[in-house]
Amino acid sequence: MKIEDSYLEKIKEEILTIIEPGIYYCYQCGKCTAGCPISYVYEYQPNEIIRLIQLNKINVIFNSNSIYLCTSCEICSSRCPQNVNIAAIMNYLRIKSWHYKRFKLKRIYNFYKIFLKIIEKFGRSFEPLLIICLNFLNKTFFNDFDSALKILKKRKIKIIPELLKNRKEVSFIIKKYS
Amino acid sequence: MNNIEQKNQKPIAYYPGCSLNSTAIDFNISVKNLLKILKINFKEIKDWNCCGTTPAHNTSSEMSIALSARNLFLAKNMGCDEIICPCVSCYCKLFEASFILNSNITSRSEFEKKKREEILNLFKNMGFDTESELNFKVYSIVEFLYKNRDLIRQKFSENKIKNNNIVIYEKEKELLTQLKPVCYYGCVLLRAEYSTKFDNAENPVSMEEILKTVDIKSKNFRFKTECCGAILSLTHKEIALKLSKEILDAALEAGANSIIVFCPLCQQNLDLRQTQINKHFKTNYNIPIYYISQILGLALGLSYEDVMINKLFIKPEIKKLKQVNFQYL
Ligand code: SF4
Ligand code: SF4
Repeated sequence: MKIEDSYLEKIKEEILTIIEPGIYYCYQCGKCTAGCPISYVYEYQPNEIIRLIQLNKINVIFNSNSIYLCTSCEICSSRCPQNVNIAAIMNYLRIKSWHYKRFKLKRIYNFYKIFLKIIEKFGRSFEPLLIICLNFLNKTFFNDFDSALKILKKRKIKIIPELLKNRKEVSFIIKKYS
Repeated sequence: MNNIEQKNQKPIAYYPGCSLNSTAIDFNISVKNLLKILKINFKEIKDWNCCGTTPAHNTSSEMSIALSARNLFLAKNMGCDEIICPCVSCYCKLFEASFILNSNITSRSEFEKKKREEILNLFKNMGFDTESELNFKVYSIVEFLYKNRDLIRQKFSENKIKNNNIVIYEKEKELLTQLKPVCYYGCVLLRAEYSTKFDNAENPVSMEEILKTVDIKSKNFRFKTECCGAILSLTHKEIALKLSKEILDAALEAGANSIIVFCPLCQQNLDLRQTQINKHFKTNYNIPIYYISQILGLALGLSYEDVMINKLFIKPEIKKLKQVNFQYL
């Protein structure tokens, strides 16, 4: 799938103007990557992501797994000697990939979709439904079966969802911004 | 005494969040009981909603801020502008919303100013009072306890003096004397772009300092602020298991027999998933993961039930000690 250049250019411009104007200050020291807990499974390392943006290759970033697996732990940003806010950039790219339907990792995509649907309906999260729907959509039927049993045994979970009085406000917010 | 009463005139709002309402109910109850014995005047936000956590944060920044802003405005309606939020994930979202909304902040970027207008407009249309001065202060539980160390110390010494008159629970006493903990802060609380940064991000000491006030010494730990894999445990379990295992390894290496945490997600990854870790890596860990509120509560005279130790998946193995030389309580 090819995205038009104007679209990618716009993302880059937005990163440069509103998210992190200092993207060219990165001198590729790699400290962000050294600290990143997830980098060992990344197809592109945090410092490479910065380079790819400089080189206008946002398409490549969208097609790799890095931005989706990032846990937003902000180790990278807090350790960068050049004060590049890498975590904010990762987050921004993730949001963009979501809105332009380029979100690549299906399992995480499903998780977000279901989670937001549940809050839209109830106003609060409801784990039993979340896990059931997630396992169904991801075809990982017995995933976390053991944990679910244990949680039930300890009575740590509510079987009936709690409904907010003004859940309309919450669903309004979610619908407006998704 | 006087200054405690003064401080408590205005109630503090309490935001539990979804985790504390279900899988981390032990955290919720122990924090509430702890606040009660410290005589903190707090009330739960009525009709609070989910903060949206990672799914909202990763799909729309405005949605994430608006969801948290609703909770802040509800607190304001109850007459509170200070909010305690034990869950770290909720805390980061609430704090970001408070930073965007507060009237007295001048250091906002253009982007943030635009978001502010958007959110204020939205809530004005929903019928909230957005005109008056907004001055929210969001506290994580560690920051709150750290700030109130004197109060904890005072309560602890009061208990010591009363020592003869109050019941000293057996199990509790033994758990505390056998405790050799490390403090684990998790990755994000002190690093988040929007947070108070009340402690050093790479080598925090606030938890150790809090525990010192009740004579609990913790071991030196080099994995204090590593990441446990967070919510990846739901979709990419291998990653979360590997990261959590490294934390358990490091704790054993430090000579600890337990880990003290304050994040429901870290606790879940380390405690609930410890059996999965054992299965996956053919290990044999059996390390209890306590919330800081549980340990502090026990040290200040709460019982096992008050802090819900029985809800932990890895149960503390307590050797029966005949004659304990006990300095707590
Ligand atoms: S730590 Fe900062 S300067 Fe170093 S490679 Fe990463 S982004 Fe670039
Ligand atoms: S915020 Fe993301 S990219 Fe940065 S260190 Fe954490 S996981 Fe890695």
